[in-house]
Amino acid sequence: MSPLIEARDLTKKYGKHTALDHATFNVQPGRIVGLIGPNGAGKTSALRAILGLSSYQGHLRVLEREPFADRAALMLDACFIADVAVLPSWLRVDDAIDFVAGIHPRFRRERAAHLLAKTQIGGKRRMRELSKGMKTQVHLALTMAIDAKLLVLDEPTLGLDILARRAFYDALVNDYMDDTRTILITTHQVEEVENLLTDVIFIEKGRIVLDCSLEDIATRYAAVAVAEEQLAAARAHRPFHERRTLGKTVLYFERPDFDGLAAFGEVLTPSVSDLFVAKLSGIST
Amino acid sequence: MNQYAWLIRREFWENRAIWIVPAVIGAALTLGALFGKLEIGGLFTQTQAHAVGGVMLFAFGVTFFVVMNLYATWYLVDCLYSDRKDRSILFWKSLPISDTATVLSKLVTGVIVIPLVYFVAADVSTLLIAFIISVRARSAFGGALWQPDVWLQLQVLWLYLIVTTAIWYLPFIGYLLAISAWAKRAVMLWTILPPLALYLVERWFFGTHVVGTLLWDRTYDYAARAFSEPSGRGAWVTTVIHADSFTTPGSVWTLLDPVDFVTSPATWIGVVVGIAFIIIAIQLRLRRTET
Repeated sequence: MSPLIEARDLTKKYGKHTALDHATFNVQPGRIVGLIGPNGAGKTSALRAILGLSSYQGHLRVLEREPFADRAALMLDACFIADVAVLPSWLRVDDAIDFVAGIHPRFRRERAAHLLAKTQIGGKRRMRELSKGMKTQVHLALTMAIDAKLLVLDEPTLGLDILARRAFYDALVNDYMDDTRTILITTHQVEEVENLLTDVIFIEKGRIVLDCSLEDIATRYAAVAVAEEQLAAARAHRPFHERRTLGKTVLYFERPDFDGLAAFGEVLTPSVSDLFVAKLSGIST
Repeated sequence: MNQYAWLIRREFWENRAIWIVPAVIGAALTLGALFGKLEIGGLFTQTQAHAVGGVMLFAFGVTFFVVMNLYATWYLVDCLYSDRKDRSILFWKSLPISDTATVLSKLVTGVIVIPLVYFVAADVSTLLIAFIISVRARSAFGGALWQPDVWLQLQVLWLYLIVTTAIWYLPFIGYLLAISAWAKRAVMLWTILPPLALYLVERWFFGTHVVGTLLWDRTYDYAARAFSEPSGRGAWVTTVIHADSFTTPGSVWTLLDPVDFVTSPATWIGVVVGIAFIIIAIQLRLRRTET
């Protein structure tokens, strides 16, 4: 199957600043992919290119289209929530549904109505009268009612409290995701999404530093907590990151020699957040 | 309903002033007719009433037309800026609507939809006022506003103005859209600054007035291109009321000059420049997603 998103040497410059530096990655259909990186790493630049919101250099195909040249057509099959606070303040909830229903051939009005019926948001209310959490629910209802192949979410829960965040991700996984869909999420809060992802892409300073499915993390990466006296021997296996904890040092290995490492302690699969920290801080103690 | 119909409906949701302002003007004029003093300077003859009524109908139309132009100008300056300012452009761009369709829908709203709304509001309120005055006034003035011939002429004048100003001022209209799609802030200031800067730079460094003359001519040549000085018998009518007299054109027909307007190269050069600015506005809309 051809990849849903295919980026090769994707580069974006703003004046002298390089936001994306020859980024190469693929997103396969049916996956939930986290594009993870610190603030200013190039996540948003990558998303904007993917969504046709900005120009770029390099090769980029999304659903076999060139996003910047073909955004309107792309949006028939892809949808996005770039920020939860972007529904216009003057728009009424009912009018928003009417408008999207009128514009978008794949919008299923009864589904939006069903999703909104679960909330206490009246159709006559304008967006400016709603709380941030309510606006998110409206935006999510509008977006989830679209039969799209790709859903892109950029820091979708920024500024939401813990209840609204949890509700957001529950709705996403339970009511929306099925094997015909693909979701790409950017976030700098790894812990929040690591349980729902199938793939992770780490980005730093505009470069892709890791592109891996969660199943593959277990075979490609290992973490071992090593006692002080064995540290020198363990280091011979060339860890790419070390982290000192109580009495022990956790060493992280890429393409590990599982049998050899077993001598130093239990070989564990690092969590996404641990791997994120390990990958982005490199050798440190 | 097709995409453009939805996009224009959207403009009405966002800019409720499109219909509120003309409705308020119409209501104010109607209230004036309901409660105002009607007998101006005593009794009229039929001819005098006819002349005064014609001028009044024209004045109502002018009121609507002037406010309409101010509002439409403001609309064009703001329309591609406001959704970048509040970031709602990220919502609109998540829908399968091309940037060309978006810009064209704003153009159509600014130069056709808004003028038509004012036109209808002017018609409805002048009809109401004519009815009220014919009921209230007991003198010859009662029928002053029931003038089907003047009425018909004003309809033609309105439509002629809407079409010809849209064509003649297309460079300005396109320019406003381009600035609206481009400015990061202070969009009003940015509409004035570039031409002013060009004018001053040219004046200081070259001592010429090419830019100033171009802008001046485009602004003021409209009347000369679209209208002509009435001449011949019955072209002008002078009405005397007591010690005062005033002269009005005999009819609108002799005023309009569509042939000169359509055959003038200046008209079509303007259209080309206007289209260029609109294309620039679309390109900017493609690239600028945030202020």
